[in-house]
Amino acid sequence: MDNSLPKGFEMLEPLVADWSLPTQNARQERRKASSRGELRYFYDNMLPKLPAILSHLDGYPLGELPAATARLFALSLSLAEVAPHIELYNGNPGVPFSFAEDRFAAEHGEAAF
Amino acid sequence: MNAPNERLRWAAKYPELGMEPIPVEPCISPEYFEREKEQVFMKTWLKVARIEEIANPGDYKVKKIHFAKTSVILIHGKDGKIRGFHNTCSHRGNKVIVEQGEETFGRSKAAVVTCRFHGWVYDAQGQLAHVPEEDRFSPCWEKESSGLTPVHTDVWEGFVFINLAKMPAQSLSDYLGGIGTHLAAYPYGAMNRCFSYHTTLDCNWKIALDAFSEAYHVSTIHAGSFPNVFSTGLADVELFGDHRTTGICLTLNAEPTPVARIANEITGASLVAKRGTSMLPPSVNPGRREDFSFELSVVFPNILIHISEGIWFTHQFWPVAHNKTLWEGKYYVPEPKTNSERWAVEFAQVLQRNAWLEDTATMEDTHAALESGAKSHMVLQDEEILLRHGYKVLEQYMSAK
Repeated sequence: MDNSLPKGFEMLEPLVADWSLPTQNARQERRKASSRGELRYFYDNMLPKLPAILSHLDGYPLGELPAATARLFALSLSLAEVAPHIELYNGNPGVPFSFAEDRFAAEHGEAAF
Repeated sequence: MNAPNERLRWAAKYPELGMEPIPVEPCISPEYFEREKEQVFMKTWLKVARIEEIANPGDYKVKKIHFAKTSVILIHGKDGKIRGFHNTCSHRGNKVIVEQGEETFGRSKAAVVTCRFHGWVYDAQGQLAHVPEEDRFSPCWEKESSGLTPVHTDVWEGFVFINLAKMPAQSLSDYLGGIGTHLAAYPYGAMNRCFSYHTTLDCNWKIALDAFSEAYHVSTIHAGSFPNVFSTGLADVELFGDHRTTGICLTLNAEPTPVARIANEITGASLVAKRGTSMLPPSVNPGRREDFSFELSVVFPNILIHISEGIWFTHQFWPVAHNKTLWEGKYYVPEPKTNSERWAVEFAQVLQRNAWLEDTATMEDTHAALESGAKSHMVLQDEEILLRHGYKVLEQYMSAK
């Protein structure tokens, strides 16, 4: 499997296999199945790179990303999924005091990006 | 009972609603539910689609309507008109369109639907267009009067509504009245990137609707997803006949978290982000309050429409049984123009999903606890005025001849 990322983002390549996931359902499942430590590790590695990732992504028209950049985009979307859990929920992999997440059916959940 | 004072401003504005406790029987009684279906849901206009879902001639949507034991085909005709029909074949009553789940979508270049049982074909006017072996049916049988059974269907601001009454008492426009004017001229159609959820809740539809119809719960229920966000009270509550609306004002008492700040800087697509010029209709947040977050409008009986700057969302509650409700939550934003905008939308939308997970957490517990019979009434505070109006309107429908 090709886990390569664009030049300048190679240090994030070890995160690709677990976190570069094209659908919201897959990213949500990955977050729910992660430990607190895994979420923290992913967040701490991604956050400092986020501004550079977003400006790199905007070097391409919407939805027209080369494969390595598409992997980087999917990684950044996983950060959108994970960030509330670090920033708001004390590292809890679930949403505290919530309805059962698996009972929410997302019609957009299997759409790529 | 407290005397009316400035802490009871909505009771003072709408004294006819009273300040009494509300009976809980309408939320838990199976008999009440049976009458409610006939007195309310079989008579009122109900939103069933957005026009963008069936944007082109020949596009159709089939939606299950559980309380009425039917499903409705909504088809976009070549004449541009959207019509509704029961999904029931005139031959031996099979479903014309085979459904997958709650909603089924399809398209037909010729703008026809075909029953797969024996191949009867209906056009977008509901007329029976083709019958295989037609000459083998009795000469007395009239093809012309054997179309699909129509359902009254009309469109307001791109929202497709049906009314299951044989002869609705009012047109959709008259039914909506003032709320239709209040919420008009908002660019719903221009913000049609939709993120959509549904689930079946083990509670009465009103318990679910009520939980979303006040901001009193924000600082407790949303302490997780919106910490340091406080309701600064309802603003500009207006009652429009059966319908009701309010501004929801929220104040953020803290710096945004790191990822939230980056997302907000890109789109402002968050309910507690600061914004510049307004896309809101003039009657919404008329004072242009700085702490205005979104308009919460309840179109009787079962849909909440929320409009804000650059984002709008709806919650709809479909009664299935006295203790079962199909909830649909839909979140709409403009189509992102850049990859970073798409990322920021993801952040805001996922956080909103989490807030909805917090909202829905109470509903089944409320229903279960009410079924105990321990309480015969619920008590509402002034800021829960929309719930009070809802029960008042419901009572009027239930006692109507």
